[in-house]
Amino acid sequence: MKHDEITCKRLILESLVEYEDGSMPEPDRQALEQHLSHCPPCIVFLKGYRATGRTLKMLKPREIPKNLAEAVMRFVRERCNKKE
Amino acid sequence: MATNEDQNASDLDLVQRIKRGDDPAFKEMVDRYNARIYSLSYGVLRNSEDAEEATQDAFLTLYRKIGTFDESKKFFSWFYRVALNAAYSRARRRKPGVTISLDDYVPRFRDDGHAASPEFAAFVDGAEDEAIARDLAERAAGFIAELPDAYRDAIWMVDVEEMKPADVAETLDISIAALKSRLHRARLFVRQRLLEVATVPQSGAAERRVAP
Repeated sequence: MKHDEITCKRLILESLVEYEDGSMPEPDRQALEQHLSHCPPCIVFLKGYRATGRTLKMLKPREIPKNLAEAVMRFVRERCNKKE
Repeated sequence: MATNEDQNASDLDLVQRIKRGDDPAFKEMVDRYNARIYSLSYGVLRNSEDAEEATQDAFLTLYRKIGTFDESKKFFSWFYRVALNAAYSRARRRKPGVTISLDDYVPRFRDDGHAASPEFAAFVDGAEDEAIARDLAERAAGFIAELPDAYRDAIWMVDVEEMKPADVAETLDISIAALKSRLHRARLFVRQRLLEVATVPQSGAAERRVAP
């Protein structure tokens, strides 16, 4: 991937996942960052993309129901006639 | 911290004991996995009562079907699939699915492949405020629920549960490339929907109501 081949479309639709998860080859990463360095729309897009990721991390349930493990054991015992 | 391999070896030990009818091993499995299975189920059902019931279903299936588990595979992949099936089975009973077109939420570009500047406003400021970020997260949960199942699983397991992409790909029985493609499409969808709700200013909304 050469710098002059990078367009916003290619960066956003094809390259962003590898760039963000660190699996992009070094020359490609440099070319992408070169594009980013002079493309305000892509920088803004990347900020929004990362903000989406941060927002999603907040969705993990903060509380597990109390006594869930006990409820599961009781449920399975009732249906399988398991002994205590 | 245990590696994936350590975890799997430890899981397999429990699996073998459960297959031999060792009840304490089953209880240990419940203790080990109940929170993760609940969280995974919650991603599908978005309701704590349903997620708890789906968790119970998953462990019942584990207990009854553990004999069919191929020990050459990773246990968590098998069990997460069991859990997803339990959650989707419950979700289908609850309401019919709504189909959306992800293509409608892919960013648009000029013919030369470059972006038109105003297209890419960000909701970053809001996401950096704790209270607003919580509100956005709740909305994001709703948007994820609109995704087709395959995309919802990918984004929930990678971005919410923070599972390794390789583990998610194995659980979903797809290639890593396919997982990344689904993940990216799902993220673009959620990003665009968040952008729509986060960039509508209150005064702007009022102005629009009185505009001809």
